[in-house]
This record gives sequence, structure tokens and C-alpha cells, in this order.
Amino acid sequence: MIEVDQLTKRFGPVTALDDLSFTVRPGHVTGFLGPNGAGKSTTMRVILGLDAPTAGRALVDGRRYGQIVRPLRQVGSLLDANAMHPARSAWCHARSVAQSNGIGKRRVSEVLQLTGVEAVAQRAVGTFSLGMKQRLGIALALLGDPPVLVFDEPVNGLDPEGIHWVRELFKTLAAEGRTVFVSSHLMSEMGLTADHLIIIGRGRLLADTSVDRFVEASARSDVLVRSPQADALARLLSTHGATVTADGDHGLAVTGLDAPAIADLAAEHAIPVHELTPRHATLEQAYLDLTEASVDYPAGTAPGKETAAG
Amino acid sequence: MAIPDILPTGKKPAITTRMTDVLTSEWTKVRSVRSTFWLLVIAAVTAVGGSAIVAISERSSGKPPTADPVASVFLAWLEYPILAVGILGVLSLTSEYPTGQIRTTFAAVPQRLTVLAAKAGVTGIVALIFGEALAFASFLLCEAILAGHHGATSLSHPGVPGELLAAGFSVFAIAMLGLGLGAIIRNTAGAVAALPALIYLPLVLLTLPHPWNDTIGKFTLLTAAYQLVSEHPHAGLLSRPLSLAVVVAWPAATLLAAGVLIRKRDA
Repeated sequence: MIEVDQLTKRFGPVTALDDLSFTVRPGHVTGFLGPNGAGKSTTMRVILGLDAPTAGRALVDGRRYGQIVRPLRQVGSLLDANAMHPARSAWCHARSVAQSNGIGKRRVSEVLQLTGVEAVAQRAVGTFSLGMKQRLGIALALLGDPPVLVFDEPVNGLDPEGIHWVRELFKTLAAEGRTVFVSSHLMSEMGLTADHLIIIGRGRLLADTSVDRFVEASARSDVLVRSPQADALARLLSTHGATVTADGDHGLAVTGLDAPAIADLAAEHAIPVHELTPRHATLEQAYLDLTEASVDYPAGTAPGKETAAG
Repeated sequence: MAIPDILPTGKKPAITTRMTDVLTSEWTKVRSVRSTFWLLVIAAVTAVGGSAIVAISERSSGKPPTADPVASVFLAWLEYPILAVGILGVLSLTSEYPTGQIRTTFAAVPQRLTVLAAKAGVTGIVALIFGEALAFASFLLCEAILAGHHGATSLSHPGVPGELLAAGFSVFAIAMLGLGLGAIIRNTAGAVAALPALIYLPLVLLTLPHPWNDTIGKFTLLTAAYQLVSEHPHAGLLSRPLSLAVVVAWPAATLLAAGVLIRKRDA
């Protein structure tokens, strides 16, 4: 379990995290979302004891990271796949990390094999593609067989096969009862991997909710109708309680009436209908709607948009 | 895919075990990059070669024998060898910053003073063994060149072993000074620029008006080290015990500042 408690982090005049609180629970893949610069990486660095918070605290299983002895057995992490000396071989890099936590050679080979890095383990990591570095980074996160795992943008640079593999790995790890905390700026990716979401913008919490509830709460379904007599249809639907807005060429976006009701009314009044499409907001759209404000507002005037659910 | 739990999670390991963990980890890091090898090769070639050139020119000069064989070996090291070993110390930390490796290191061992101590331990042992080996190798080569010549002396000469040990120890002190500077500055170029400024401070101080040049000069690292490697103590300099204290104090103070900063700063 990861507890982030009223975390504030300022870099000079810039407030990166603003009184941020949330909890990441075991047994789930928790997606950590936000636009670029929202404070995802800063939050993760504070959780891992790399940055000191200006106020508040972050605890992993009830302890500050800095108090954990041999932390790789408690928390596995991958913050930056490039955080390696380029001249060192993958094997020596993994070995040095393992040794610092009293983890033996056998486990090093095991995780390198698991992540598909073993064949190139003797090569200098500077020659690796980003995807290969990500695999090595994931291997290192798994070294200590930890109950808590933290990954910052782990699918960057991975090929489709690798992305599929990572998704399955995260789900497996969560199913084993581990806490899996994964950041991404891609909602679509998290929709496929995560079952819980924490969304931040400008260092503030925007949503802390399950994926299903998030879609439900942010759902904005309407019906698209196209008709050569759009104006007449719009007046008709309005008198029956619908909210109608123009949507493209001869198109109307209708809420308040469902598709069958619209079709029946149109037929009754002999208005031809060329298209009738019920539309549901995608996860991506719901996410964009939520974060829009925190992207658009200039620095220092971030709106106090509150938690959408949960 | 199953991830076997082969790691017993139980009692906290003792502090000594943890230190051993981090030391072995740092040792793996040092020996797995080329820069370590090249710096040591450069230091060895310039140190032994420089000393040999001093001996050869002494032999051919036909002048009266040099009174102080170990000090002359030491003076031949002042340029490259000492700087190279200092840079070895600098790189121990600064090489981890540009890539972000330092965050991997601190995520694995959040006890940052333990990391600093382990780096000091590994770099220190390498520098000490290397420094002592260089001191004895340079001396023996010089004496072989001067054999049968009036400048020749030998290891059995009173005071010589102690002076050689002091010369090797000075190399260790410079490596530690480099490590401390690297930890404070966190940037290779900056620390490599700052290192000679501290090491060659005596040369700068020479330009100060008398008596300030001598008064301050004797507290500089190299001047104090020179006193330790000299056969007879120089009257104008600090006593031998005080000189040893000065040689220890420079890296100690730098490492102390490094220790304070490394805990406070964001990685």
C-alpha cells in the first residue's frame, strides 16, 4: 500500500504538488494519469525518497522509503529507463543493483530471463533501444520480489508485443496481491491495463476512482441526428424536452431523448432522417474533459476542480 | 508468469551486512567501466615514467647526490598522476548524475551516507593500494637507474619506507578530496575544474606577499604532503604530525560537507 498524505512540493516559485493525497491499494493495477507536467514523476520521486517534500509525506506500507532497509525487497521501481551508466553491461548493472540489497546472482539471471534481456546481458546498456532499456528496468524492479511496484511510463518505447507483455505482467502482479502503481499520460493505455485511476493536474487531485465508475460519472452520451430539415427537427425535439445543439452539416447533437424516441417523433411529423447515431463518451474523452482545465489555465491560477468520484 | 518468492523476508540485516552489500555493489560498478582502467593506466605511466625521467636526468647531470630521494619521486608526480587519481574520486559520484544512475543507486540504497561511505571505501582502497604500489615502484625504478651512482639509496635506508607510505597515502587523500568535490558539485566538468584549483593552491599562494605566502601555504594539502615525504623536516613548514593532520583534514572536511549536502538535496 502507498499512502500519499497532503503532499506539497515546490521548486522555487513553481508548485509541482499542491496538497496531494491518495492511497494506492494492493491487488489492483492503479493508473496514475495527468497531462505532461502534472506532477506524476515528482510524486513518484517523493514516494521513493529521491525528492524531499516541502510538506506532507508519502508512506510505503506505513514507512517512509528512507527508513526501509534493503528497500528493493519492499518496493520495486522503474522511474527512468535511461538511468544507467551507458558503458556498463546490463549484467553488471543488474548485478550491482542486486548486490546493494543482498540479492544473489540466481535471481538476477531469473529476472533477466523473465524480461527477455538475458540474451543481450553482456552488451553495454548504451547500445540498447529504449524498449530494451525498459525491459531491463522492469527486470530490476522485480529483483527483490517486492509487494509494491512503482512504474513511471513503462510502456514508452516498447513494441506492441512488449506492451502486451507488460500489461499481462502488471495484471499478474496485481492478481498476486501486490500493489502496482503505473503512471502514463495515455488514458487509452490505462483503460486497458488499470482497474483504478488516480488523475492529477497541476499537482492537484482531479479524480480517484475505479475505471468503470470514472466512465460512468463522466459519461456524456448523446444522439447524432442528420436531417435535410434539421431546423424543423430541432424545433420539434426541443418542444419535447430535448436539448439540441448543431453538430456539423445538417447534424444535431441531441440529449434528453433517446434514438427510438427521436425516430418516432420524426416519423410522426414526416421529417426525413439520414442518420441516427447514439454516441457514448470514450474513456479518452472523459479524461480530456477532466484535465482540460488544468492544461489550459496559465500557471498559478489552477482551478480548484474537485474529485469527480470516490 | 510466476515470480517465485526466493527471498526470505525476515529479520533486518545487521548494519555491517548492509555496508558489505553496498561495498560489493560499488566495487562491481567501479570495475565494470573503462574509465577506471584508463585513469589508473595514465596515473601509473606518468608517475613511474616521470620519476624515471627525474632519475635519468640526475644520473646524467653529474651533480652532487640529491639529499632527498623520496621527495624527488613525489615531486615528479605532482602533475598528472595525482590529478588522474583525484579524477577517479570525482567520477565515482559525478559519473552517476548525467545519466540519472544516481536515482537508481539511491532508490536501491536510500541511506545516502551509506552510499557515500561505500564509494569512499571502494575508491579509497583502490587509491591507497595503487598509491602505495606507485610509490614503491617509482622509488625502486629510480634506484635501479641510479644504482652504482652517487645518488643511489635503498629501501633499507632509515626513514625511506615511512616516506614512501606517506607518498602513497597522499594519493589516497587526493582521491578522497576528489570524491568529496564530486559529491558537492555533482558535475564532472565542474568538479574536475575545481580539483586542481585546490590541489595546486600552493602555486597560487606563492604570489602572495611575504609572509602570507608561507603562513597560508604550509596549510595546503600538497605542501603538508611534501613535508611528510621529505627525509628531513623542512623548518619553515608544519611539524610532521601537524602536516599529517592537514593531509587528512582537507579530504575529511570536503567529505563532511558532501555528507551534509547529499542528504539534503533532491536526487
